[in-house]
Amino acid sequence: MAGTSSKGKSRSLIKSLILIRRNSKVTYGAIAYLTALVLSAAVLTIYPPRSRIIGYADPLLPPSPQHPLGTDILGREILALLAEAAINSTVIGLIAATIGTLAGSIIGFLSGYYGGKIDYVLRILTDVFLSVPSLLFLILISSLVRTVTIVQMGLLIALFAWSWPARQVRAQALSLKERDFIYLSELSGESRLEIILREMMPHMIPWMTANFVNAFISAILTEAGLSILGLGPQTEMTLGILLWWPLNNAAIYRGLWWWWLPPVVALIYLFFTLYIVQLGITEIINPRSKVI
Amino acid sequence: MSSTVKYLIERSTIYLLTIFISFTIIFLVPRLVPGDPLAVFYDRLREAGAQQGVEQMIEEYRRLLGLDKDIFTQYVSYFYLVLRGDLGYSIGHFPAKVSDMIMSALPWSIGLLSTTTILSWLIGTLMGAISGWRGGRFSRALSIAALFLSNMPYYILAILLVFLFAYTLRWFPYSGGYSVGVTPELSLDFVLNVMWHSFLPALSIILSSLTWWFLSMRSMVATLKGEDFVIFAEAKGLPQKEIMWNYAVRNAILPQVTGLALSMSRIFTGALITEVIFGYPGLGTLIVIGITTLDYFLIQGTILLSIFAVATATFLVELIYPLLDPRIRYGGG
Repeated sequence: MAGTSSKGKSRSLIKSLILIRRNSKVTYGAIAYLTALVLSAAVLTIYPPRSRIIGYADPLLPPSPQHPLGTDILGREILALLAEAAINSTVIGLIAATIGTLAGSIIGFLSGYYGGKIDYVLRILTDVFLSVPSLLFLILISSLVRTVTIVQMGLLIALFAWSWPARQVRAQALSLKERDFIYLSELSGESRLEIILREMMPHMIPWMTANFVNAFISAILTEAGLSILGLGPQTEMTLGILLWWPLNNAAIYRGLWWWWLPPVVALIYLFFTLYIVQLGITEIINPRSKVI
Repeated sequence: MSSTVKYLIERSTIYLLTIFISFTIIFLVPRLVPGDPLAVFYDRLREAGAQQGVEQMIEEYRRLLGLDKDIFTQYVSYFYLVLRGDLGYSIGHFPAKVSDMIMSALPWSIGLLSTTTILSWLIGTLMGAISGWRGGRFSRALSIAALFLSNMPYYILAILLVFLFAYTLRWFPYSGGYSVGVTPELSLDFVLNVMWHSFLPALSIILSSLTWWFLSMRSMVATLKGEDFVIFAEAKGLPQKEIMWNYAVRNAILPQVTGLALSMSRIFTGALITEVIFGYPGLGTLIVIGITTLDYFLIQGTILLSIFAVATATFLVELIYPLLDPRIRYGGG
């Protein structure tokens, strides 16, 4: 499998992206995740939008050929809701992870590469954000912003998603800038920008990818957590909201398994496929870390 | 300036900044959002049938809660109140003070979380030590299982446990801190009743956190197994058991202790979602009550306390741990 050496002097950007793709865990995990998304999109085209509106069918019907996953308390088609939820949760994850990783990488890089006063200020800021229990702040904010949309939810979570990438990228930048090949490129007259883009970036890419996947997973879980507490986007469906409904209506004790099981299974599935991707990326960064 | 002093200054700065920024955000956010914190209360009075004098009553509450002054005065007076440990009145349960409500929820959260944190640490560390030392196929399978479990969201685990033990097998109660009709008192019956009710929430927390302790201890012991001093001890002919406990475990335990100290700081945040799923009367449930009744002061107070406690505990651990582990020096990166 992907055996790599981090010594590679002129590893290009494209090369490190290929490496990430060639790892079988990354490939299988990503394919499994994308399959779920494609299936969700297919379900949404098959079922009419009104299947996700109150009174589409009788409430709380168990699974049957007409309603493959049954219906919920408002008579909505659970399969269609699940498909919408999977896609919306993914969108939240993408927004939070993209902003979090980019902002975090820029902050971490500036901090590590330039050092000095910039570093001191940015590092303390990062540490403050790392030591604050972010879920509590998110609870505070979203309990006051009563109705959040999918996008707002993603942005909210992004607010706290940058600190961990920042710390990691800073450490990377610190160790990279002292390496011989960077000195060599400085001596050979490459400009700062060239050094950053051509020499340092390729080494950062695997780390940034790992941070991205991490942030993606935790954003989906954070959204679910907030929604279970009753703070999710009320007007749209996410995996968390889909779980809030049965939990809030004591579905487990009433034996309505088809109501609470789909979001639970979906969360576990999305989570495991992403986790396998993450394992693959960790292997690329540190080939000795192979566990499975 | 010595590196110790530098380290102390930096850690203190981060600590004070964390508290200050948190306090400011917690104060500002509710006031930046359009809408009246008393609107819900107002509606409730209307629903209760109050017709006359509602306006005056609301004005009176506004004055009592200090919401009629300008924002800077509010900030300063809130700051002084908090310094004195006064978190204001609950809007949803008006005559009740937020600090009293927190005080009655706090023992539940602290009791649940301190017990589960220590238990999962003990079990996880012990299993990790044995598995790391023995190695082999079983230990490998165990660590793969732990890897998956450790990353599973803890509330999913909680839901599955409720389904299995409370719904299907009916061994444990669905929710609550103690049975309806039982009066809280210091008797064996009550304690047993509480333990019976806390079993499932405790199990879900222990299961999902012990895997972390297991994995870190396992990899630590496995690494130490290859160290020269362990090989030397084996060459000396010391019994395996002694080498494991006195050489490997003893050296691996330090980071675990630090980790335990850090996670003990989290006992003040409550097990948010777990508490909600099990209807457990701790801080997490209190926050949710605050959310559903739009009780700003209750939410503010609970979150402020949690953040303060977590930051303080983390700060203390960071000050102490270079003393615990001589290999970590103050300062550095």
